Amino acid sequence: MSALTFTLRAVPPYCVDVSPLIPDRLAGLSKAAIEKIAIGNHGLRVDDLFAVRGEDTRQLIIRDSSDRLNRIGTGMTQGTVLVEGDCGAYTGLGMRGGRIVVTGNAGPLAGSGMTAGGIEIRGNAGDFLGGALAGDKQGMRGGNIVVHGNAGDRTADRMRRGLILIGGDAGAYCGSHMLAGTVLVSGHVGTMPGFALKRGTVLLARQPRELPATFQESGEHALLFLTLLENELRRESERFGRFLPLGNRVRRYCGDLANGATGEILVFV
Amino acid sequence: MNINGVAIDDTFAEAFGMRATRILITALDLKWAYHAARAATGFATSVIGCGCEAGIERELSPDETPDGRPGLAVLLFAVSDKELAKQVERRVGQCVLTAPTSAAFSGIAGEPVNMGKNLRFFGDGYQNSKLIGGRRYWRIPVMDGEFLCEETTGMVRAVGGGNFLVFAHGQVEALAACEAAITAMSKVPGVIMPFPGGVVRSGSKVGSKYKTLTASTNDAFCPTLRGAVKSELSPDESAVLEIVIDGLTETDVRTAMRAGIAAVCQAGSSGGVLRISAGNYGGKLGKFHFKLHDLLK
Repeated sequence: MSALTFTLRAVPPYCVDVSPLIPDRLAGLSKAAIEKIAIGNHGLRVDDLFAVRGEDTRQLIIRDSSDRLNRIGTGMTQGTVLVEGDCGAYTGLGMRGGRIVVTGNAGPLAGSGMTAGGIEIRGNAGDFLGGALAGDKQGMRGGNIVVHGNAGDRTADRMRRGLILIGGDAGAYCGSHMLAGTVLVSGHVGTMPGFALKRGTVLLARQPRELPATFQESGEHALLFLTLLENELRRESERFGRFLPLGNRVRRYCGDLANGATGEILVFV
Repeated sequence: MNINGVAIDDTFAEAFGMRATRILITALDLKWAYHAARAATGFATSVIGCGCEAGIERELSPDETPDGRPGLAVLLFAVSDKELAKQVERRVGQCVLTAPTSAAFSGIAGEPVNMGKNLRFFGDGYQNSKLIGGRRYWRIPVMDGEFLCEETTGMVRAVGGGNFLVFAHGQVEALAACEAAITAMSKVPGVIMPFPGGVVRSGSKVGSKYKTLTASTNDAFCPTLRGAVKSELSPDESAVLEIVIDGLTETDVRTAMRAGIAAVCQAGSSGGVLRISAGNYGGKLGKFHFKLHDLLK
């Protein structure tokens, strides 16, 4: 069976919520039934927006995708969604399993509220990657996100659990209000990393020019959990290979002292 | 049955169902892993007085441990889920957490038993957890850095109390034969011989003339009581030693017993070994029976 492919006919003049297009929702439906599904708030049906081909509802492809397509993969629990091109906001919102691959860039709040599964963004990610929606107490709550490019501001804001790996740079306030979990930034990080960090780990490959005054250095250490993390990444080296080897020797800065001092920024040495 | 001049009694070892876990203890080097593991498995010869039976199963090379450091696999056996949980927490908390550079990981899949879950509170609020590969680890700040401990270890149903008895001309001959047996049995995975050096000299019988005791010396096998009690020893037999085996499965115990008895028989009558027997309670108490003749067929 070939993957169920949605080819965007034309970039819509407004943002469209395409959250119904997930393997869970489409399982068992015929092509005709899928084409009739209503999407967005403008009275659109799937076939108004996409040319639909293929039949395997466990593997979805959104071809010629655009940053106008919001909420791709929302709440999915299984299967894969391959986004060829860019995607809009809220990609993988609350996802509970499966995998999303975006070959282009992703908009803000990708992976917000996700509890399991994986998101791979081969381009750049927007602000609040794995972060919390306005009013939500927690952002990402499990699973993993890999970004090959850069991530915007407030990456992992209020993140509760999970792993975010960023191949490029991260913007300002990376790990702000983080509750737990791990964020790795291979490139540079913007101002105020770990702002109001409660628990959790912000791992930096490069020493930031400046850290918030509420982080204090606690010396250089070899931390065993980083060895376990590296071993885990090696198990899926196809996805995580670019972040290896990790090493376990780091300079530790504990903080945010204004928020309990139980979190940490670790800088590889 | 007679092998190399050693008589094999037509009897069986009676063993019991137990609960067991395997814990992997790692450290900066094998020396410190041994310090931690020996402490954690110390005073664990018999469930009667120690709460559990425990021992070092084998050494682990760095590529066999979760953190890539040298380590040891230890096995703990107890009579109930509750007792095993208590012993795991107590022993890891007092003997592994305290040992420099150490870390503790689950070494077996099974029903989860708390390991680091409550030990984390030693961190006084500065402890952190990491969920890696679906397993939760606690990072507890200690004076040499961090103690890394998996939240739970796995509990499985196991077999405890496999045994055999070695009858010899004297102490020296019996001990030499048992040492050879322990060397052979130590190569069998999934088993421990929990007594000191793997060998026990104080075989017991159920009950005592003293009402407060539930077990007492097995007088029928004590050479110095020959003449005073109904002895099970022949005139030539002046020393008896026992090897007790706990294993993760019935097959593990069987394999270890077979290896141990074969090693004893290799010494043969010329080495002063006269007879091999096994301890049982008439078959009424233990679920597992290991017939010596069947083992050696």
